[in-house]
Amino acid sequence: MRLSVRQRFWRGVWVALKRRPSRILGVIIMALFVFMAIAGPWFYPDRLPYNVDNMYAPISWDHPLSTDFEGVDVLALVITGTRGVLLVAVAAGLVTMLVGTAAGLYAGYRRGAADSVLMRIADFALTIPGFPLLIVLTTAMNFGAWWKMALVLGLIGWGGLARAVRSQTLSLRERGFIEAARGLGLPTRHIVTKELLPNVAPFIATNLLMAVTGYIYAQVGLYFLGVLPLDTSNWGVMLNAAVFQSGALISPDALPYLLAPLGAILLLTLGVVLIVDALEEIFNPRLREG
Amino acid sequence: MRGFLRRLAGHLTRGLVMIWVVVTFTFFLIRLMPGDPVQVQYEKLIAQGMSPDQAASATAVTYGFVPHGPVWKQYLEYLSGLIRLDLGVSVDSQGVAVADRVFGAMPWTVLLVLSGILVSFLVGVVLGVVAALKRSTAVGHSLSIAGSLLHGVPPFVIAIVLAAVFTRRYRWFPSGGQYNGDEVAPGFYYDFIGDVAYHAFLPAAAFAIASYGGWLLAMRSSVASVLGDDFLLAAELRGLTRMTRFRYLARNAILPLFTVLAISFGLVFGGSIFIERIFNYPGLGMLLFASIGARDFSMMSGAFLMITAAVIVANILADLLYTFIDPRVRRQA
Amino acid sequence: MSIVELSTETLPGVAISGLTIAYRTDAGELAAVSDITLGLPAGTITGLVGESGSGKSTLALSLLGAVQKPGRVTAGSVVIDGIGDITKLDEHALQSVRGAQIGYVFQAAQNSLNPLKTVGKQLLDLGRSHRVKDLRGLLREAKVLLSRMGLAAERVLDSYQHELSGGMRQRVGIMFALVLNAHLLVLDEPTTALDMITQANILQIVRDVHAERGLTTLIVTHDVGVVAEVADRMAVMYGGRVVEHGQTMEILGAPRHPYTRGLISAIPRLTGPVDAAKPLPGTPPTLGTIPRTGCVFRQRCPLRMEICDTVAPAMIGGVACHAVNETEQL
Repeated sequence: MRLSVRQRFWRGVWVALKRRPSRILGVIIMALFVFMAIAGPWFYPDRLPYNVDNMYAPISWDHPLSTDFEGVDVLALVITGTRGVLLVAVAAGLVTMLVGTAAGLYAGYRRGAADSVLMRIADFALTIPGFPLLIVLTTAMNFGAWWKMALVLGLIGWGGLARAVRSQTLSLRERGFIEAARGLGLPTRHIVTKELLPNVAPFIATNLLMAVTGYIYAQVGLYFLGVLPLDTSNWGVMLNAAVFQSGALISPDALPYLLAPLGAILLLTLGVVLIVDALEEIFNPRLREG
Repeated sequence: MRGFLRRLAGHLTRGLVMIWVVVTFTFFLIRLMPGDPVQVQYEKLIAQGMSPDQAASATAVTYGFVPHGPVWKQYLEYLSGLIRLDLGVSVDSQGVAVADRVFGAMPWTVLLVLSGILVSFLVGVVLGVVAALKRSTAVGHSLSIAGSLLHGVPPFVIAIVLAAVFTRRYRWFPSGGQYNGDEVAPGFYYDFIGDVAYHAFLPAAAFAIASYGGWLLAMRSSVASVLGDDFLLAAELRGLTRMTRFRYLARNAILPLFTVLAISFGLVFGGSIFIERIFNYPGLGMLLFASIGARDFSMMSGAFLMITAAVIVANILADLLYTFIDPRVRRQA
Repeated sequence: MSIVELSTETLPGVAISGLTIAYRTDAGELAAVSDITLGLPAGTITGLVGESGSGKSTLALSLLGAVQKPGRVTAGSVVIDGIGDITKLDEHALQSVRGAQIGYVFQAAQNSLNPLKTVGKQLLDLGRSHRVKDLRGLLREAKVLLSRMGLAAERVLDSYQHELSGGMRQRVGIMFALVLNAHLLVLDEPTTALDMITQANILQIVRDVHAERGLTTLIVTHDVGVVAEVADRMAVMYGGRVVEHGQTMEILGAPRHPYTRGLISAIPRLTGPVDAAKPLPGTPPTLGTIPRTGCVFRQRCPLRMEICDTVAPAMIGGVACHAVNETEQL
């Protein structure tokens, strides 16, 4: 029975998921977060209802994760805080993907001077401590517009992907892929899009997922430190308020307010880890071990 | 030896170029900042009754360059100050040299980062070997998942949890500072060192927990790939003892981790901002954070520069270490 | 046990009988080696020929009790004089026998040395693993062997693997196999991936040390030429079974099994018409495609008969083929 590449891919996905049910859990978790990001804000009014008489309310059906220092429902905060952060992270991930893939492919394909210059720059981007750079940039740039944030994050983080794509391209070259395609008289565009890209796609996919997660945490971190204006609501703002303002570390009443964003981060990480575990096997079946 | 020196020279050149780029970046960042803080300070000093000349030289002391005249001249002045390790003077606390504060904070961060990396490296490598050797069992799989999870969780989450549990809920550890100045005076004696360790324990533990998962994963895949190498089968067929073969495996598997080590420093130093902030530990990260809050831009660029320089130096050291351990690189000259 | 003691023992012969080695796969346990009975007479060089996937390397490893997971010996025995049935030894006993009494030499293309240690240091590891008291003596012995094989001993001992050429590595491999005075030597594709001159040198060395040190040698190869050059006896493997064995000269002069015939007529000659070399039609089976019943060679066999589909031919007079047996009995 012959299967098309696509069919074989989906069959690989299914086999990998079935082999470890925990991976299905990962898919469910990720789907949950994506759903929260897309549809979450539709369930709540723009301005979440607050009630200063009901701060740090006991856990109840109305407030399953208690309320914050203004009496706003914590669950609502967690859900509505997903979209902004996720949007920026996905956009930044796309920037990283574009720049990293282009630089890596070009360097690996052309080699020579272009390669060494690009890799020097990539090494530079890898070496510069990203987070300190980010908070220094907050002093000069207004990160209020989401696309600016996305652009800066994406441009800080492309070095690793570029390196990975380049080394993969080089190893394909060593295995004679490129020479063979050239020998057949295929145009460069065909070689890059039809021969190289499909072979580096696994790296890009795994890397993209990790980069997006990293960018989510970088934003949460910035808000948590309080170097970005705390005017929106998201997990980082919640953590900032919980840790530095409302004394959630001391008062047990406020504990759910602290634990909710932490829990969200842990859950997201778990989802990503389980999916990356599955991706590695889908793309590299040799890892399968009896 | 000649190969080693050439490598070292290459590293130093690249390191210097990187530092130069960073310096240039901070110089223009401060100048291009909305509301030009240099100009603001200059005008404030004049408003306080200084003559323009006095104000200009006072501003120059703060930022390391005179706020007037052509940009290239300001830039050169800034650079020549840096070469003399003159990072300017703090805007926020007048009269305090940035270099003094930065170099004062540096060792504390290095203490945290190094002890954290060392512990996490050891633990991660050992568990990584176990995870690789037992990879088809439940133990191996859960070790890998736990490693990935801790590797994936941002360090501030770990720091918050540790701080919440061990400094607030149970007050087993101090809630801030490098040592208790009321009880011990700095010096090289048991009580002081003990107190420093007591204060550094939790933040260093946060570093260690946040990064050991990465080592575990790296070691696991490295061991798995070395296990497939022919020389281990050859060693088995020559009747080398299990212990000897294990040493062969471990040494070959650990080697690639040194290249990862070089990359990890940037991340770890970046994490110091969170960890020092959460544990109120006055190191470089805390200094950088505080200077941003106080709009103390000369301090900010000094601290950022020093963090970058530390990462670059650590990178170079890790690479040289690698060169030293791997005969394939060492004997190429 | 000391080196001297060992060398005075009689030469070890090997008796493999009914050996079956199966690999556990998703499709169940598949036999890579099936019911092999073969003797390696003491003091001879036996060549084991077969295409890749014929199970010859698995068989070679079983002589050291080192069948790699997920494979295991499911039946039969490998009895080595002075050691006993090696398939029954525990791990500790195997460890002390390997290297000391049985030497194994890898393919040249495989890196059989730890890349991070010099040859000398690895030699010392070998000595310590085998509790050799006199490590200086061991080094001396190694130098003698290396010089005997035409290498600059001091320099080689101070070299890392990446500093040695393919031919040098192979000699170092032979040194490692013999330095503890092993008398049973197993070489797995010792000349593959070497250039012609180096190949000839290595074979010369194998022949010489075999004679000088009084070894029993098994040489595994896909190259009939190598067997013709050095082996007294040969065995031909196909699909996990030995299909023919006997004196090298007799088999090469008058091959009986259709596979052996095909193998020999596939060799191109330096002189004569180019198309005299006839490649075997079809492809050799892999672990999953070896027929489970009947003759393993029947799909490519010009002499195929009905019985070949159902009954595996027995080894009679050095050949396992229904057709050959039938005609020879007439």
